[in-house]
Amino acid sequence: MGKSLPKALSSKSTFAWLLIAPAAAYLCLIVVWPLLETIRLSFTDANIGGESYVGTANYEKLANSKKFAATIGRTFYWMFISVSLKMVLGLLGASLLNAKIPGRAAFRVLVMPPWIIPIAIGCLGWLWLYNGQFGLISGALQYVGITDGPFEFLAYKQSAFYSAIVTDVWVGTPMVAIFFLAALQGVSTDLYEAAYVDGASRWYRFRRITLPQIFPVIVSMALLSAIWTFNSFEIVWILTEGGPRSATTTLIIDTYKTAIASFKFGPGAARAVVIVVLLSIFAIVYMVVLKKLEKRFGSK
Amino acid sequence: MKKILATLTVSGIALAAGSMAQAQEVHLIMCGGEIREADQTVITQFEADNPGVTVNAEPVPWGTCQDKSKTLAAAGDAPGLAYMGSRELALLAENDLILPVTLSDEAVAAYQPGVLATVSNGGQYWGIPHAFSTKALYMNCDVIEAAGETCAAPETWDDLYNLAAAVSAASGGDGVAGYGLAAKDFDNTMHQFLNFLYSNGGVVIDADTGEGMLDSAETRETLAFFGKLAGVSQEGPTAWERDSLKDLFNDGKIAMYVNGPWGRGQHNEDINQMIVPVPRGPNGDNGTILITDSIAVFSGTGVEDLSMKLAQALTTGEAQYDLDSSWGLTPILQYENLGFDAPYYIGDAFWEIFTAGISRGGPEPMVTDVKGLQAVFVNMIQGIVLEDDTVDNLVTIAGEELAEIM
Repeated sequence: MGKSLPKALSSKSTFAWLLIAPAAAYLCLIVVWPLLETIRLSFTDANIGGESYVGTANYEKLANSKKFAATIGRTFYWMFISVSLKMVLGLLGASLLNAKIPGRAAFRVLVMPPWIIPIAIGCLGWLWLYNGQFGLISGALQYVGITDGPFEFLAYKQSAFYSAIVTDVWVGTPMVAIFFLAALQGVSTDLYEAAYVDGASRWYRFRRITLPQIFPVIVSMALLSAIWTFNSFEIVWILTEGGPRSATTTLIIDTYKTAIASFKFGPGAARAVVIVVLLSIFAIVYMVVLKKLEKRFGSK
Repeated sequence: MKKILATLTVSGIALAAGSMAQAQEVHLIMCGGEIREADQTVITQFEADNPGVTVNAEPVPWGTCQDKSKTLAAAGDAPGLAYMGSRELALLAENDLILPVTLSDEAVAAYQPGVLATVSNGGQYWGIPHAFSTKALYMNCDVIEAAGETCAAPETWDDLYNLAAAVSAASGGDGVAGYGLAAKDFDNTMHQFLNFLYSNGGVVIDADTGEGMLDSAETRETLAFFGKLAGVSQEGPTAWERDSLKDLFNDGKIAMYVNGPWGRGQHNEDINQMIVPVPRGPNGDNGTILITDSIAVFSGTGVEDLSMKLAQALTTGEAQYDLDSSWGLTPILQYENLGFDAPYYIGDAFWEIFTAGISRGGPEPMVTDVKGLQAVFVNMIQGIVLEDDTVDNLVTIAGEELAEIM
């Protein structure tokens, strides 16, 4: 190979750099440049007609806004509840799908639709379910006598927020379950057999064998799910557009409303930068805490 | 030989330039998702009258249309002209993306009162109004009479509330509400509120000074009334916008709600409906919001003159009359003064309801931050519907927020 290539390319590292150069250039084009452009825009008052430099004014406004602080808190709460539910239900679902029961293959297929159906279509279905006058849930509640009239799930702050979480969990859980299922299938059966012989209970085997063995997958999945949930847009937008009274307005919704709906690109970019910073901090803290937990409880 | 070649080259270039000048395309974005027959007739005639000019008329659904026009303009690829909500004009005008429109005194006098206020900003007109609507109260007399009440026009807010309360009380557990209230995060939530605010003598922006006037006693009374109405309305008003209320009206689930003239065609034919003016508040007279959609001509497109010519062709005389009458819109021009013989709305009891309120109506406020304005109103209305805060606080906050976005 060395004979057919110019001398400069003959070293292994140079050749390696050349090979990854197209991918690196592509990455710069679609990730680095937009990110830098977003940061630059955040220091301007860019709008539909032009832009001018405003220094840190956009950030100062955000720092002094109680509404924005509430939106940050709401977003983390939304993420925490939703991801926790996805993890628990995903693990439960994966364990059931891993069990040797008749029709297991069919169940594994049936769990996929929420993930496969386009989110917008799924959300339209949920919109109908949550409708008080014509919806299935309100009708069922009235039928069994839990409510004595129609109930609009998306009309009230609390119910709208938790309804959006239910839909988000519905969409996100199948993927988590499938990943956990793959991890469960990688756990050696020898470990279970040995523990069984030693008289370990079902719960003890789950806690001391299953969980430690799939711990790395749980960590990765939780982090990915947290980022996706934090930035989940379609579900909230289709169901509530952030209302009522901002009860379901998360950071990404707020950013969209500012940057795209109101054409305030500068203030919108500042919000986008805040999202990047918050998620980066969250990811770092999460990884540090989990490394400590892994040392303490993880598999050897 | 060289001379011949040079002559040929120059001639070729001149011919090419000439044919380019001849073949011009005017891009028209038409919000609403369709090109109505009345408009298509004008477009076809325009192309025939201007050889070499083609009109690329692109219908775009309302949901994305206005953002599309604005985004194209911001990106330097504006359409020649666009039919869009007049509320969008201020932002485009402030950023020099559209051209001001000059109207003759005769043309100005031809419009219904208040119509041109919906396209005015900074002392200039920024669009030519092309569609106009006013609002009225629709009553389902079958539902009202089934509740043991007389189906008569409520004159005042108290009359409206009492009738709605009586229907709600009579329905028991049937889930029939006296009134259909829209309070979703949607533009027509603001419009529905303004129907009542203008019926109570309220003002949002002072036409002369440009000052925000929302923080007023009239707004407080209107908001308090909305709070009362919520108690006799369908379950969860914050999940409903006006257009979805027609389904409840058709199903006999609400006895009354406010809608435009198109409501008549959307309601089931077997419903015994009555259409009456929006009841008056304690400080006003039966009013309505005056909403228009307009044709705006964009700057920097190279076809400004042609676009302006097309905009004027679409919005004048016969062409506008054909659109109004075939679409069932509130008349935008005073056709009776323009020599039209027996215009469709004269002597028609239904249309008299929608035209009577024009002189007492108020415009959809024109600000550059349209979504911000919507948020001010929606926040205030949802606040009272959900009993989050007092009327006083909500109106004070709304006044401050309005000042911020102006």
